[in-house]
Amino acid sequence: MSLFFKRRKRKAGKQSKQGGQQMDSSEKAICPALEDQLAYIKTKTGNSKDIIIRKASFTEKLGIRTAVVYVEGISDSKTINEFLIESVINNRELHRKLPESDPFDILLDEISALGEASVHESWDGLFRALMSGDTIILVDGASKGLSASTKGGEHRSIQEPGSQVTVRGPRDGFTESLGTNLALIRRRIQNPDLWVEMMKIGSVTKTDVSIVYIKGIAKDEIVKEVRSRLNRIEVDSILESGYIEELIEDESSTLFPTLYHTERPDIVAGNLLEGRVAVVVGGTPFVLLAPAVFIQFFQSVEDYYGRAYIGTALRLLRILVFFISIIGPASYIAGTTFHQEMIPTHLLVAIAAQREAVPFPAFVEALIMEVAFEILREAGVRMPRAVGSAISIVGALVIGQAAVQAGIVSPAMVIVVAITAIANFATPSFSIAISARLLRFFFMVAAAAFGFYGIILGFLVLTVHLTSLRSFGIPYMAPIAPLIPENLGDSIVRLPIWMEKTRPKLIAARKKRRGGSQKPMPDSGRGMVKRPRKEEEGGRT
Amino acid sequence: MKSSYSFLFTAAACCFLLTGCWSQRELTDLAIVSSLGFDLNKDSGYTLTVQVINPSNVAGGLQGGGGTEGTPVTIYSSSAENIVDMNRRISSKLSRIRYYAHANSVVVSEELARKEGIGKLMDSLERHEEFRMTATIIIARGVKAADFLKELTPIDKIPSDKVIKNLEFSEKMMGEALRVNLQDVEKDLAAAGKEPLITGLKATGDLEAGMKLQSNQQTVPPAVVGVNGIGLFKNGKLVDWLEGSAAKGTVWILDKINRTIVSINWLGQEEAIAYRVLRQNTKIIPKLKNGRPEITIRVEAEGDIGEVKVPVDLTDHRQLLAMEKAVEQQIKKELTLAVEQAKKNKSDIFGFGEAIHRSYPKEWKKLKKEWHDVHFPDAKVEVDVEAFIRRTGLRNKPLISTKED
Repeated sequence: MSLFFKRRKRKAGKQSKQGGQQMDSSEKAICPALEDQLAYIKTKTGNSKDIIIRKASFTEKLGIRTAVVYVEGISDSKTINEFLIESVINNRELHRKLPESDPFDILLDEISALGEASVHESWDGLFRALMSGDTIILVDGASKGLSASTKGGEHRSIQEPGSQVTVRGPRDGFTESLGTNLALIRRRIQNPDLWVEMMKIGSVTKTDVSIVYIKGIAKDEIVKEVRSRLNRIEVDSILESGYIEELIEDESSTLFPTLYHTERPDIVAGNLLEGRVAVVVGGTPFVLLAPAVFIQFFQSVEDYYGRAYIGTALRLLRILVFFISIIGPASYIAGTTFHQEMIPTHLLVAIAAQREAVPFPAFVEALIMEVAFEILREAGVRMPRAVGSAISIVGALVIGQAAVQAGIVSPAMVIVVAITAIANFATPSFSIAISARLLRFFFMVAAAAFGFYGIILGFLVLTVHLTSLRSFGIPYMAPIAPLIPENLGDSIVRLPIWMEKTRPKLIAARKKRRGGSQKPMPDSGRGMVKRPRKEEEGGRT
Repeated sequence: MKSSYSFLFTAAACCFLLTGCWSQRELTDLAIVSSLGFDLNKDSGYTLTVQVINPSNVAGGLQGGGGTEGTPVTIYSSSAENIVDMNRRISSKLSRIRYYAHANSVVVSEELARKEGIGKLMDSLERHEEFRMTATIIIARGVKAADFLKELTPIDKIPSDKVIKNLEFSEKMMGEALRVNLQDVEKDLAAAGKEPLITGLKATGDLEAGMKLQSNQQTVPPAVVGVNGIGLFKNGKLVDWLEGSAAKGTVWILDKINRTIVSINWLGQEEAIAYRVLRQNTKIIPKLKNGRPEITIRVEAEGDIGEVKVPVDLTDHRQLLAMEKAVEQQIKKELTLAVEQAKKNKSDIFGFGEAIHRSYPKEWKKLKKEWHDVHFPDAKVEVDVEAFIRRTGLRNKPLISTKED
């Protein structure tokens, strides 16, 4: 029942988009004869077995022939049977209205009363409706078709998201269904200002894409920019939000993600409230958020759910971890081949002792281990779950033990690789962790060529690159470069919620979050234990 | 746009490929030198001895054959007229690049220190970019530096480490040694009003046996390396040794005493009470009276009673006050001893000259020239000690006195 009514809201957006995504020829007019219409559908769809055509006579008396067409699996067959066919087409009460008016109009009226319905003058519109799960009703003699919203079918239920797991926080995650995803967001922000715009992208796939933002908080320019960038897309298929991300990002020649993606509705809600714009794509649980800033990728949603001090400490840890995962092996190479004087004597002697038997230079040794680890990790991700444990045993034994015993790598190198790998896993956002993985190799080359000097040069290049990046016009390194002091409270550190008075200055249209101070000020601190609280005065002693 | 990218690429490629890992050294190509020794040759020139660490014999580890098969260090020597020459000559004997950044001690033989002085050595050490000026300098007393470096040590496997730790802790716990690094010596040599002090170390016992690995496989090492006196320098040359109380007094005047023991006679018994110094503060107050320098050394010491061998009632505060007086006298004696010896050698090792320089910069110009030879020995030195007994340990009355009661 609910599915039947759902489409009403999105009608405006969809209609406005009609002109944009035209497919090859089919601005073909609908011929009035029902047989011709059905024959056309059959040829057009290649007689596909999942297209169900049910013929029925609208009102037995007059015998107006109608046909109901829908796609099995993506439409709700219960709705079609119970409401469309039983209570509209086979409704005897409707006899009386005839023959005063056109049967087509009566059908339209009746169906509109039950759910969303629209009239299509062209085959293009009809097929678009049919393929998105709607049911089309054709009436003999009418050179137009009717579509009723019957979207449905089997979906994955709402589950805990596989990525971005938290200890404390909501357990629901987005699913592949766009409608469910939008509902999950709206359930969190129960406000009419939460606006949803719909469009279809992909000339072949016709994927549903919606822009979600809070009117008044999100900057109009950013919303406009997102909309225009989405409208500009002319590709045949959108199968995941990654397609969209790649097509609308500011800078394509970078390792860093300039759009944030998440599986968690609470993250989306939080970001919408900061003035960001969400792009929800049908068929994937990953929702895009724009604009994204660098520091965002080091923030976990749990920072806001736990105590501020702990959130701050963890954020600092994550930034440290990011640096370790970039320069871990690089500093080992630099330290052991260029700057031996920087290593304490006893540590140097210990490393030197381990390296005595190793036949490779430190750089080659590091490269072997890092590549071996990357292979192992890739194998672990792609392997069927049943074989996964075999991989870890082979990996642990071969890399951890045998390689050391065979004298191919030194134990110190194994430690470095292990720390680097763990550091990489500790980065909360997968998309930034994966860029750190790649950067690590550049830094290793730089360290092998110039030592720590090379690492510093690498960081210079990295800093220049990062500060030059933009995400929907917003500097990627904000609020650090450019420095925006009022937004630093929620960047590297996380100040208590009552201290965060402003939204991100560059992103949000309405900056102020609230009025007065929200610092908790209990009236009766410890006095509560000693004496009864005074009702009227409420004095703070 | 395209040409600028290709230009950048070429520039970057040149940076990486043409420079080709300049100054890159693999760990397996380095001979980590832990210590250097300098000796005087009989006829002319010097002998340089380097103590090179054998990493796998020190660290042990999984591979490389276990930790006890070879000696932790290997010694190489060469002779030449100057230090840089010797250093290069060692290359012909070593399979690796000598790496001096981890050399933490320099050993100078007593003979070299007496005849040539240490000034000439300092120059090449200071010029070398790898060598650390924080390396400790010591004098091999009575033995050749080469022989001294050859001695294996049981607990700290690298002999150089043992020597440095030995110095550090005897300075801290006893106060009869000084850990002096090259920088300190450099400063003292450059200053007009101070002469350097360098601690001497002696290797005693069967030196031949001490060079063998077997020496570490017995509980009593055949040769023992230990702190033995502080060398007193004049004009960069070793002239005398400060021993025992005089050494302690010197360290005390330099305000470097951390903890030490002061033993006093009590009730007619020699060294009956041991006073453990916990903290002290020494100040040098210079004065000029009619052009004659007067130095006041003010010592404030605080400590516990560590041992009592005679029956005394330590709960009686009058007794403690009397003890404090005796401790003060004893400390004063030690300090005076040190001053006397320095005066005898006409070498201001305490930096009194520098103190005068700071307080009377104008007058110092006149005193400067003949400070060590005339004015320092002539200076009036007052020692003013204030000792305080903070605690008497965990016990009040000694066991002896309770028995007698």
